[in-house]
Amino acid sequence: MPVILFVCYLFDEEDTMMRKRKNRCGGKRVALWVALAMVCLLLSPPLSFGKDKSLLTVYTVNYPLKYFAERIAGKYAQVFFPAPADEDPAYWMPEVQTITAYQQADLILLNGAGYAKWVSKATLPQSKLVDTSRSFSDRYIYMEEVFTHSHGPEGEHAHESLAFTTWIDFDLASQQARAIADAFIKKRPDLEKTFKRNFTSLAQDLHTLDSEIMFLVSLNQNQPFVGSHPVYDYFARRYGFNMISVHWEPDQAPSRQQWIELQTLLEEHPAHWMIWEGEPMASSKGKLLDMGVESLVFDPCGTVPDDEDFLDVMFRNIDNLRVAYR
Amino acid sequence: MIDSLYIAWKYIVANRAKTITLLSCITLIAILPISLELLLDESERQLLSRAATTPLVIGIRGSSLDLVMNTLYYGDEIPDFISMEAADQVSKSGLALPVPMYVRFQARGYPIVGTTLDYFEFRGLTLGEGRQLAILGDCVIGASVAEKLDLRPGDSLISSPENLLDLAGVYPLKMHVRGVLDKSHTTDDLAVFVDLKTAWVIEGLGHGHLDVTKTTDKSLVLRKTDTNVAATAKLEHYNEITEENIDTFHFHGNSSVYPVTAVIAVPHDEKSGTILQGRYLSRDEMLMIVKPKEVVDTMLQNIFRIRNVLDAVILVVGFATVLAIVLVFALSVRLRKREIGTIFRLGCRKLTIARFLGAEIGIIVIMSAVICTGILIVLNLYASDLVRMLFIR
Amino acid sequence: MIQIAGLNFQYAAGDFSLHIPVFTVERGEKVAVIGPSGSGKTTLLNLIAGILTPLKGSVNVHGVEVNGLTDRGRRDFRITTIGFVFQDFELLDYLNVFDNILHPYRISAALRLDKAVRERALKLAGDMGISAMTRRRSSDLSQGEKQRAAICRALLTQPKLLLADEATGNLDPSNKTKILDLLFRSVEDHDATLLAVTHDHELLPRFDRIVDFRDFWDG
Repeated sequence: MPVILFVCYLFDEEDTMMRKRKNRCGGKRVALWVALAMVCLLLSPPLSFGKDKSLLTVYTVNYPLKYFAERIAGKYAQVFFPAPADEDPAYWMPEVQTITAYQQADLILLNGAGYAKWVSKATLPQSKLVDTSRSFSDRYIYMEEVFTHSHGPEGEHAHESLAFTTWIDFDLASQQARAIADAFIKKRPDLEKTFKRNFTSLAQDLHTLDSEIMFLVSLNQNQPFVGSHPVYDYFARRYGFNMISVHWEPDQAPSRQQWIELQTLLEEHPAHWMIWEGEPMASSKGKLLDMGVESLVFDPCGTVPDDEDFLDVMFRNIDNLRVAYR
Repeated sequence: MIDSLYIAWKYIVANRAKTITLLSCITLIAILPISLELLLDESERQLLSRAATTPLVIGIRGSSLDLVMNTLYYGDEIPDFISMEAADQVSKSGLALPVPMYVRFQARGYPIVGTTLDYFEFRGLTLGEGRQLAILGDCVIGASVAEKLDLRPGDSLISSPENLLDLAGVYPLKMHVRGVLDKSHTTDDLAVFVDLKTAWVIEGLGHGHLDVTKTTDKSLVLRKTDTNVAATAKLEHYNEITEENIDTFHFHGNSSVYPVTAVIAVPHDEKSGTILQGRYLSRDEMLMIVKPKEVVDTMLQNIFRIRNVLDAVILVVGFATVLAIVLVFALSVRLRKREIGTIFRLGCRKLTIARFLGAEIGIIVIMSAVICTGILIVLNLYASDLVRMLFIR
Repeated sequence: MIQIAGLNFQYAAGDFSLHIPVFTVERGEKVAVIGPSGSGKTTLLNLIAGILTPLKGSVNVHGVEVNGLTDRGRRDFRITTIGFVFQDFELLDYLNVFDNILHPYRISAALRLDKAVRERALKLAGDMGISAMTRRRSSDLSQGEKQRAAICRALLTQPKLLLADEATGNLDPSNKTKILDLLFRSVEDHDATLLAVTHDHELLPRFDRIVDFRDFWDG
């Protein structure tokens, strides 16, 4: 509006001629135009450049989702994952203050598949929840040989038998990332292009991981592995791993019974490699070696790594896996 | 004039019984229609405003009035349950925000409303004290509940059994009061809010107990297989959720089949709302979707008809009362015939005699007006609470 | 004070008529009117007070032709010039004694109730010996006390003429004498004229003149 008025002023022929003849009135005319321009400026809608929209506040239930969210949102979100580094996020129970912080978020990214047991015991705003694995919920893996309980002769079983480490199937991880991107776009449709671009970049990286493992496994499809813990179900399904898992912890020495069970297992499933979530105890490694089983670490990276990011950890995992295929 | 008022006042004071009777009659006949009008207007306003701010409600096909009254006003008539799947369907459709409601249980006479955090934002409810719901077992109470039961954050409140004889039914759960809502002058002031999952715990769909897969007490084990342990009824369920036992709490079965009484659907826009409504039009559909405003409008129209009848009755009664009052005054004049004769003989003008009698009527009418005004002021102050108490809940 | 000439009165029902060719009462006189019941004694008082108007004749009281006044004029004249004392006292139960005494000043715009009037009322009550009872309800008084209060009311307006209709009719013998003494003394003190209807023949000697209504009664 003020631009229009200014242009009108410039091209006001009559005014141009009049200015020359009646200089004493020129000043008044200028003042009038300036005043009109100021009025128009005040009445105009505020200009859009430099608009400061607040950052999205995002909370996640594990580190991979935090990584995905940060890759996709970039500088447009603050992403939080408050679980302590030394606690398994799947079984962590946050304090009430932390739950309150989750409640205040713009978005809460859930893994789905029964991950983060605390979610079923906490009150979170449904409108802000994003179940990142909903798109493949029909392909959840139910874990075998988990001891459930029921009530009475006909009671239903407790639902603690879902495998939940979905993100190390990098195809599923990509779907989870897409769900995050969609949620971000819904919240900030003005940043759709940015989010899509960032997601594409992330999806490309995940695809690289996916392809590398596919290739590795293709070198020896039937090579038997033992999983130290039942966290590799989706990984095994995706890449066709011939894997059977036990219930060991890297930082705990297996019991005698557990060694016996492993021995029995190896008789049917002659694996030469055990895949650990983290660096196992030297004693465990040594004893396994005596049994002809080497150890490699494939860290699911559920918690925040030191000085690395998700991709770094996964590439390192692939390097570790590569050793088994030499 | 002052002398007339003085004489009239002296007469009124000396004849208290008659004065009080007349005063009561006039006050009643004046206040009745006005207060009824006030209360009905207030109830209409409350009902309509709450209904107008609730776009759509999904529930079991049947009585839309029961559905709306239970969902919006926590009425005692509980509609048949639908499943949580209804809320999931709305969420999946992307057309509306679903706010599931489970209004079935009570705690010390107040309805327990199982819902999600979205409900508080939807209704604009704010916390006056304490904090919001955070974990299972928490409850947040309305301002009137806190006042009447003298509860504060940190106190506890036990849910009431549905039926004292139902031994295998609803478990009384000791809930922890975590917050008190600001007064909203709506039905929410009289409610106890819990997370939907807590309501399911009250129902018994979720519970906490000893880990039977690890117990050595054989009397707790009904049957044990390689993959499952069936517990006996002897296994005691915790009736309070604490920091120590919250990890043991779990749900059996799929939560999508868990019951709710209704789902409030808040469409993202008008078009989405229309599309959503269209999805429930099929006759085979078990569920129905209603617009609370339309339901309440229909109900109020019926009330309006009754109101007309009430108005007519009050009019007739009022007319009869006015006639009675006129008769009382006429009799009063007759009783004072001797007095009137005396002052006539003393030399009182006719107009002055009329003024004496008129002053008596005038004082009574003014006193009645003052009482009516007082009652109306008080009624106006408490109208919203009274209406909720008398008509809505 | 009172001059009646050629008075002819009949009630609307037509069953009673009164003819008084001449009737006078001098100023300051204390006149008793006697006669059988129904002879028209009270009617005479009402005619003099202007409560009733004759068909014919003149009624002149204190120089005012009463039957020539308007209804309002007669009421105002009555309340300012004439004081009434009734057989049944006619006090108002819902007022105290003092308010009863002041009553004429409250029921007429022709009189103005002020401090002087209140002081006069108190003095009258004192003169009548009822000053201690002024705040009591009139219904709490004895018969004699009531009549004293009534006399105070009648005298408060400083009337020129006092009309007493069987003023001692409802009193016991001792009170009759006392009340009559008070009445006579008040009339003398206020320089007023007294016209009293009475059936009490024992009191007649105390009056200046006795008028027998059988002289006017058509029977």
